[in-house]
Amino acid sequence: MADKHSMSEMDQKLVNVKIDGKAITAPASLSAIQALWYAGYSRIKSVGCLEGVCGSCRVLVRRAGNSEVRTQLGCQTLIEEGMQVMFLVFPRPTHHTYKLEEISSSWEVQTKFHKIFPEASRCRECRGCNASCPKEIDVMKGVALAAKGRFREAGELFVECVMCDLCLTACPELIAPNHVGLFSRRVTAYFHTRPSNLIRRLEGLQRGKFKVNVEGETP
Amino acid sequence: MTGILYSEALTHYQAAKSRDLKKSDMATDELLQAFHPDYREDSLVSLSVGSNQGDSCHRQLAELLQSDARIDEADLAGASIVKTDVLVIGGGGAGCAAGLMAEQAGARVIMATKLRLGDSNTVMAEGGIQASIERGDTPQMHLDDSLKAGHYRGDPKLVAKMVMDAPDVIRWLIQQGMQFDLDEFGDLMTRRAGGTSADRVVYYRDYTGLEMMRALRESVRNSKIDVWDYSPVVELMSNESGHCAGAVISNLKDCSYVLIEAQTVILATGGIGRMHLNGFPTSNHFGATGDGLVLAYRLGAKLRDLDSFQYHPTGLAYPQHLAGTLITEGVRSAGAQLLNGLGERFVDELKTRDHVSAAILKECAEGRGVRVDEKTAGVWLDTPGVERANPGILAKRLPKLVELGNKCGINPVEMPLLVYPTLHYQNGGVVIDEHGQSTVPGLYCVGEASGGIHGRNRIMGNALLEIISFGRRAGLQAAEMSHGRGHKKVTIGHLSKLRRELAVAGMPMEMKGPMLFPECAKFEKDADYQGFRRKKQ
Repeated sequence: MADKHSMSEMDQKLVNVKIDGKAITAPASLSAIQALWYAGYSRIKSVGCLEGVCGSCRVLVRRAGNSEVRTQLGCQTLIEEGMQVMFLVFPRPTHHTYKLEEISSSWEVQTKFHKIFPEASRCRECRGCNASCPKEIDVMKGVALAAKGRFREAGELFVECVMCDLCLTACPELIAPNHVGLFSRRVTAYFHTRPSNLIRRLEGLQRGKFKVNVEGETP
Repeated sequence: MTGILYSEALTHYQAAKSRDLKKSDMATDELLQAFHPDYREDSLVSLSVGSNQGDSCHRQLAELLQSDARIDEADLAGASIVKTDVLVIGGGGAGCAAGLMAEQAGARVIMATKLRLGDSNTVMAEGGIQASIERGDTPQMHLDDSLKAGHYRGDPKLVAKMVMDAPDVIRWLIQQGMQFDLDEFGDLMTRRAGGTSADRVVYYRDYTGLEMMRALRESVRNSKIDVWDYSPVVELMSNESGHCAGAVISNLKDCSYVLIEAQTVILATGGIGRMHLNGFPTSNHFGATGDGLVLAYRLGAKLRDLDSFQYHPTGLAYPQHLAGTLITEGVRSAGAQLLNGLGERFVDELKTRDHVSAAILKECAEGRGVRVDEKTAGVWLDTPGVERANPGILAKRLPKLVELGNKCGINPVEMPLLVYPTLHYQNGGVVIDEHGQSTVPGLYCVGEASGGIHGRNRIMGNALLEIISFGRRAGLQAAEMSHGRGHKKVTIGHLSKLRRELAVAGMPMEMKGPMLFPECAKFEKDADYQGFRRKKQ
């Protein structure tokens, strides 16, 4: 870091990669998406925020001299010499459906959860979800916590989840683990977030305590 | 670019909890005139055709507003027609809020989005959402702050609706299953936005937009809304009396067109960052190409403040491949100061965004910036200083910042980040009323694509508030206005008038709009998809 000069030089170094079967030579400072564009290829699908929070750019990555294939986000994958990258299509929406309003009280959540996500209690602990997660979330533990009714704790594990659906793709039991995580987060807010400062203000508004003067201040 | 070399500047830098402001800060008006990109004379033109004829507009935006359409009548021969009550165009926060309200009100809703549902600037929003909920704060103060920060160019009636909606917007979001950061008593935590008079921004870490989008997308997917992914709109349609009556969708897969006839249309297409105005980097999403403005303008909608854009003060300046990436204002809210290459503080960091950006551009223009190479310069954001004042705060409250540091190979706890203004937000847009209705009957517009709320400068947290407040308003109203028997004749007849006007005004008509995708994606010569429309030989 102290030596800026050498860092700049490294950015400019060209490397050879294969992206979706296309041989590309591009600077090492580029992401897999940028490298495709740099080489003149089009890429529209699987591009989103380019910051690693939208989960659109799912890729399979294999590095030189390593047979392991990893799942990552394309915008967050800097290219390396000999790297192979394949873009994955985005899966169809999960078959699990529910409406929060249909859960009548917090006593009902656990029962409802198992009706909505019957597969969650059949987790075979293969760890495919954990291995697939680009955010290194302990997905499997999240599913186990949710299956036990520990929704707040389960949801906390999914703070960084970008809903890339890679764990959904990886799960052989079709649990849709990221949706289990999101369900856990949503019921926690829906049933337990009751901030007194907000409630006080809503009461005040309802009583007509606050009015605004649209003339406002004048400059 | 002149400036102080990175390695030398580093020797001037010392982390500190806080420093006094030594130099006297320039007055805002003077500073903006001299250094804010909106005031560069060569970047502005006057519009030649349309409802805003004669108005000042950014040159690059004007080119698109006065571009030729991508289609003509012949392209639509044999195209299939789908009918619905409400068509929502755009799948970000504003579109979701509008769609959900319309669906709840009993309307049939189609949501057409250029990329996937949720691919938007909403998901990237970090700072938070404004709502006056603390003791000592009032909706009136929220209104006054918003108008003042917008240099009194916002529409007070719209802002009044938004600030009064705000607390209920937060409740609605909680009911959608969105979490917020709470204190030990379960109260919503608040922080202060630059240029405001009270702690009013509620948030979830620096993932506020991500958390919001996760909840809203799940709500939409579990509703009866029919979501069309990868379905960019290339033109709006109208009936014989000029009422907006649907849109032409292009299918990315087989280049065919589908006509959606709708009783009402809600545009929620977002901003323009990917136009890279004045060559600035952007913090925006891949799809932020200003399509909604072009579509609405062609149908005759009035726009406003087309020469006013927000350059967020703290975009990452280095490394190159991440240039423009946003560092949330929450970091400055938490106390981080800005320092030039001499290690001096030069601006009150919590002034409005336009002021702080102009101050950074001034330091760089006058040779006091930190220089990396010929093209890259910036100023320090003293994140280690914040950590000193409040150990552990970065990891706990600003995890996205720490992750960004990891990607740069810089630990923000120990090293300052180099920042430079980044194109962030379109302040103006389609003129709307309190229900989000544009000047064209049947055409609603919400979120960043609409104008009038932020005047010439937006404060942190008002964007996330606006999309939900006005998204809900427009959704309800559009559903209510969709009880008619449908339109008789729905066409793209407005295009012949447009082409005539463009020809009379002597416009080049070489460019086709809307832009749909940034240039870098090379959409037109797409190898995998054959392109949107093969070029005429």
